[in-house]
Parts: sequence; C-alpha cells; structure tokens
Amino acid sequence: MTDATHPEGESLSRREMLEVTAAALAAPLVKLGPAAAPPALQAVSKFFTAPELALLDELAELIIPADAHSPGARAAGVAAYIDFRLSDSAEPEQQTKWRSGLAAVEALSKELNNGQAFLQASADQRVAVLTRMAAGEHDPKTPAEHFFQDLKGWTVRAYYTSKVGIHADQEYKGNVYQRGDYAGFDAT
Amino acid sequence: MTLVRVAPHLEQDVDLSKTYDAVVVGSGAAGGMAAHVLTTRGLKVLMLEAGKKLPIEQELRSMQWPYDHPRRGDAPPGYHSLSFNEYTIRTPPYAKNSTAKHVMSYVGGWGGSDYVKNILVDEKDHPYTGTKYAWVRARALGGKTNIWGRLALRLSDYDFKAKTHDGYGDDWPISYADLQPYYDKVDLYLGISGVKENLPHLPDSLFQRPNKLTSSEVKLREGLKKMGRVLTPYRAGVTTDGLKHNRYRSKCYGRGACDRRPGGCDIHAAFDSPTGLIYPAMDTGNLTVRPNSIAHEVLVDKNTGRARGVAFLDSATRKSYEAKAKVVIVAASTLESARLLLLSRSPQHPNGIGNSSGHVGHNFCEHVMGPGVTGLVKDLVGKPSTLDDGRPGGFYIPRFRNLKDRQPGFVRGYGFEGGGGFSIFPGNAFGTPGFGAQFKREVRDHAGAFIGMGGFGEVLSRYENYVDLDPDTKDAWGIPTLRFHYQFGDNERKMCEDMVVAGREMLEAAGIEVIGTDEKMLTEGWSIHELGTARMGSDPKTSVLNQFQQSHDVKNLFVVDGSSHVSASCQNPTWTIMALAWRSCEYLADEFKKGNV
Repeated sequence: MTDATHPEGESLSRREMLEVTAAALAAPLVKLGPAAAPPALQAVSKFFTAPELALLDELAELIIPADAHSPGARAAGVAAYIDFRLSDSAEPEQQTKWRSGLAAVEALSKELNNGQAFLQASADQRVAVLTRMAAGEHDPKTPAEHFFQDLKGWTVRAYYTSKVGIHADQEYKGNVYQRGDYAGFDAT
Repeated sequence: MTLVRVAPHLEQDVDLSKTYDAVVVGSGAAGGMAAHVLTTRGLKVLMLEAGKKLPIEQELRSMQWPYDHPRRGDAPPGYHSLSFNEYTIRTPPYAKNSTAKHVMSYVGGWGGSDYVKNILVDEKDHPYTGTKYAWVRARALGGKTNIWGRLALRLSDYDFKAKTHDGYGDDWPISYADLQPYYDKVDLYLGISGVKENLPHLPDSLFQRPNKLTSSEVKLREGLKKMGRVLTPYRAGVTTDGLKHNRYRSKCYGRGACDRRPGGCDIHAAFDSPTGLIYPAMDTGNLTVRPNSIAHEVLVDKNTGRARGVAFLDSATRKSYEAKAKVVIVAASTLESARLLLLSRSPQHPNGIGNSSGHVGHNFCEHVMGPGVTGLVKDLVGKPSTLDDGRPGGFYIPRFRNLKDRQPGFVRGYGFEGGGGFSIFPGNAFGTPGFGAQFKREVRDHAGAFIGMGGFGEVLSRYENYVDLDPDTKDAWGIPTLRFHYQFGDNERKMCEDMVVAGREMLEAAGIEVIGTDEKMLTEGWSIHELGTARMGSDPKTSVLNQFQQSHDVKNLFVVDGSSHVSASCQNPTWTIMALAWRSCEYLADEFKKGNV
C-alpha cells in the first residue's frame, strides 16, 4: 500500500482505498457514540476553546486510532500538544488557520449530516466527514481538504514523537548505549 | 553518564601586547588542525574564533527523547528556518523583511532546530547578496564540525590528477602519494570507522571497527556486487574503538542520535574540532583561544608587505583589537576566508592580500545534490522493529562514472549516500495516504522497509563562479558582506539526470522496488561543501597558494581550509581539509624553525 505514496505505483485506486479505510474504521467507532474531550484535556487547554479541543481530539483519534497493537492519538495527547504549540506560536496566521479549519469541519459535518455538529454525529457520519476531507489529500481544493493536510501532518508529528508512538506503536529499539557489538550486519 | 573530561578553561583576557608565533583565524576542522600541529611543534599560537564558546553538551543533548522536549526538538517561537522554496523563489539576502525574530539556514529545518539555534548564525545578522545560494554557517568554537555529517573520505589521483585523466580544469600541485601519510595521521589521531574495499578511486583509511549495515542495505550491497559497484558502510569520522591519547572524547556507543539531529555528538565520539584538536592543543600550554573575535583584516607591514597580524572586533563589545603574529593562518571556511582576504586591502595588496592573481573568490566549487531514489524492500514489510539507527550513517556508494568509461553527457562523477531501516520517526507516515486503523497499520508495517539514497556530485571548478565584496551591504558589525556570482552549469545538470537513472538501475538490480525518485537539484550551496576560492597551484598567475597552502605573494600567510582545493572531487572534503592542513603546518613549522617565514 505504500505504493500509494507515489501515485504512479498505486495498486488500489484512491477511491477504493478510502472505502477500505472507512470500513476498517467504522467497526470500533460504533461503540463510542457522541464524543467529548476528557475533563483532563479541557483543563490543559491553552489556545482552543473546550469545544474546539474536543473536536480536535476526536479528529486526531480518527486519524490514528487505538487498535489492538497500541493506543491512539487520544492517549498520546496529540490534541493537547497541538493546542500547546499554537498557544506558543509567534505566527498568528497559524492560529487563524487552525480555528477556521475546525470551523470548516463543523460546516462540512452539518452539510453532510443533516445539520449535525461533528461530535453529535454518529460514528459513521464522522468517518464520512473525514473521508470527504481526505479525498483531496494530494490536491486539496476546499477549506476542509486544505485543513486535512495540516491536521494529519501535525497529528502524525505529535503521535510519532510521543511516548505512545515511539515505544508502544513503533516499538523503537534505538537511543540506547550499545555496550557490546553494534546491532546489524557485517559488510562481507 | 560522564564519559568525557571537562573542557579546559578559556582565559577571559588574552594578552594582545605580545607577538604570537602564529595567529589562526577560525576554529573548525582547518583551524583546529593548524593549532594542533603548530602547538605540538612548539609554536605559540593565538586562535581567533568569531563565535562563542558554547556549553556544547547542553546544546546538543544527544539522547533527549522527543517527548521530553516541550516542542519535540523545535526551536522556540520567533525562530524560522529557511525552506527550499524560500531559497528558490527569492534571492539573497534571504532574511531581509522576515517577520521572524531569528532566521536560520535550512539546517535548522532538519528537525531538532532547538539543538542548533545557537550554533548556526542568525541570517539577519549575516546577510549576503547576489545569486541564490544556501550558505550554511556556524559561528561557535569548532564551527561546522559541531554539527557535520561525519562522512570522512579520501581523495585519490582520480581527483588530484583529474585534468590529466579527462582534460578538464587543473591538476592539483600534489598527488595522492604526497597526502597519503597525512591522511594516515588524521585517521590515527582522530579515529575513523569503515571497511576496506581496495578501490583505487576511494583509498581506504586506517579504520577502526565499522558500523553495521541493515538488512535492506545488505541486499543492496549484494545487488551492486553483480554490477561491479560497491556499497560500503558509512566511513565516519567517529572513533568506534576510542582514542587512548584523547581524554575529551568517548568511543561511539551506537546511540544513534546522530541520525536524527543535525549531527552533533555530546560524547564527542564523532570528531569535532574543540575536543579532537583544540583542547589537546591547549593542554600543550602553547595555544590561546579567543572566542567572540570577528577578524576583518589581515594587517600588513608597510615596509615589507608581509602579514603582521589580524584586526578583529569583539562581537559583544564591538571594540577593535589587533593580534600580532609572525605568521597569519586563515582558516575561516572557504567563503569567509575569501572574504577576509578580499577585505584586507592595502597599498601593497590593493585587490586584497594574496590576490595578485585576481583568483581570490574565484574557481568556487562544491557538490551538487538533490537527485535520489527511494525503494521498498517487500520482504521487510510487517517485520518486527530492529535497532537500525544506532550509527553515524548508513552507507556510501563510491563514484563509478568516468573512471574507465567516458560518459557522453558529463565529466567527473558522483557518489551516493543512503540508508535503510527503522529510525526513531517513521517518515513514511507523511506519505501514507488516508487515515484510521489501516493507515496506522501501514505506517507501522512499512516503517523499516524503505531504503533511500541521494547523489553528491562534483561541481566543476570554473573561474566565472565567484564571490566578491558587496560595496553596499554590511553585516551586523559593519563589515562588507559577500556577493555571489555562482550557478550550476550544464555538466552539473547532466550529471544530476544520470544520478536518477543510475540510482533506479541499482535498486532494481538488487530486486528492490523503486517507489520514488527525486529529480530536482537543490539550491546551490546545499551540500555545505563549498571549496576553491583561494586555490593552490604552481603558477602564481592562476592560483593563490602554493602546494603548502602558502600565499604566493605573502610568504607568512597561509590559507589552510577548503578554499585551497583545486577541484571539488565528489568526496566529502573534511578529511582532506585536515590532511592538507597537517601537511602544510608541518612544512610551516619546519620553515619557521629555519627562519624562512
């Protein structure tokens, strides 16, 4: 599937691939129902309002969900990290971009889901919103598609630099003193 | 964990009333080596460094986990690192009109900008003008050796006698046999890891134990053998077995942070000039170091035209000082050294000291980079994570073009640097489409299955590629800045096209699926291997220095850094810079004792 990083080598069409993704997502989400940010998350909010942060937290978890292998973006504190970075930012246009990006998600949810806000929508409906946002991943056009690039990029950055991402998900073996022979293979 | 001894104390007040045997401008690979060789031979040396003496271990924090840093390694708000687009769309000075408080070169954008923000110069204070050029500068004790990439390669007679081989440019005034003993000295004094390959065009060093390969790299090495090409473990200027004679440097423990920071090693297993050369030189009692000292003129004796010292400004107080010395050694980096020579105008040297040839600033060359290939090793998809990044680098594929063959499109050659396997951050996550459980699993399953490599090619030395002083632009200290007149040419473009073709062909030969190619050339300067602006030669009319990096015009002036190189070759220059500086400074010490300089 990593073929898909280079469209010319893609084995599944983008549409097929996204359908597979959406199907895979739907199952575990059904149980969740309308989500809200855990109280701890709201307490640390530095830039976003509590509803914005709850929305971001759910979006991040949809992008990198918990699965049988490892916890997801929620457990990794992705939303709180993005919130901190934006509160700490010297670039006001970044803050504006994220705020209006989240608003675009809400607008898209209302458009697709009979006026329902994202967190009030069902699990399937939320996946449908994100699927629409992701449809323009390589060539974003709408505000929601543009926002998806930032949202995913920062979710990836935050998750894979977190304890959860590095140790639980990636099971990274390095950044240790190798006291004997170095790991790896000899050039023979 | 303390593995290294504390750095020697730097004197606050340097005695400028006395005349030193030699003053060395710059403290990087070249300046450090000059200090080492001359102080060992008993000369009293003053070293001037424009930057600060940093508490470098605190800057580098090599083993800090990303999540233990508040911004995961990023610099605080207000810092901006220049991007490829900025270098491409705009022209220098790149920091002009920037709203950021501090602007760093692109190296700050490698990830880990917080670790280099005090090592790299602030582009706002250090403008330059002219053609596009990604000029990376480090002002700190040790210069760029604090963050260098560590690939340590020798040149061969394919390089020193390149004109004889293919008719282009000029031969060096030395051959490999002249430099080989000094490469050996550098290897033994500083430590280098690697594997012997017996290649005439990439001579072996005296290696300590090598770094290992990952399974995808072994696969590529095997594939290349069938083509008669070589993939060798990264030849790293890193001591893997330790150095009994150096108490400031630990051996390498394969911690691997070198692979995810711009280079720095806080236990100094990777060579850096302060712990490798300068502190041991201070221990001889013969070296005085003055940081925060911005040299802006080589001073000339009115009667003899000889160098008599160096004028400098204190970077903090802006006060002017003169350092007096019997010999002046310029080692400020290729472009800064040319700038200093050009700034040193006097009635005896109206075009700048040592510049009767008019060649100072000219014949400017480097390495071109950008083109590369990425492959996917299918058998590795879904394999459990392994420790693959506990090493200074992955692999090197030495030049294979224009050795016995003659390429129709270009002269000279290029090598590839690359690596494969797991690292601390799964870079494929950015390119994997979609989201959700499948996205997450794909990132995990593929993270260790990629192998990638990029070319480093020789940029031809050409007189018309040059820098001069901009009459209208000054840096934050009022010193005229450099203006660039420098562009890649057709040979570089053809070579870069070939890199993509050859890279693809090599992955395919090893049965590795090519999943991506980079075809664009990065901005001039990107390799940080600038060379040639005060080249050596036997003819004083067409060269600045003789074979001992001694000015043809001014016998007590030496320029011992990369500016002396006659051609760029395609090998990374640091080890050659140090071998040449060692050779020249031994010559200088001999001549000094005889009273000839």
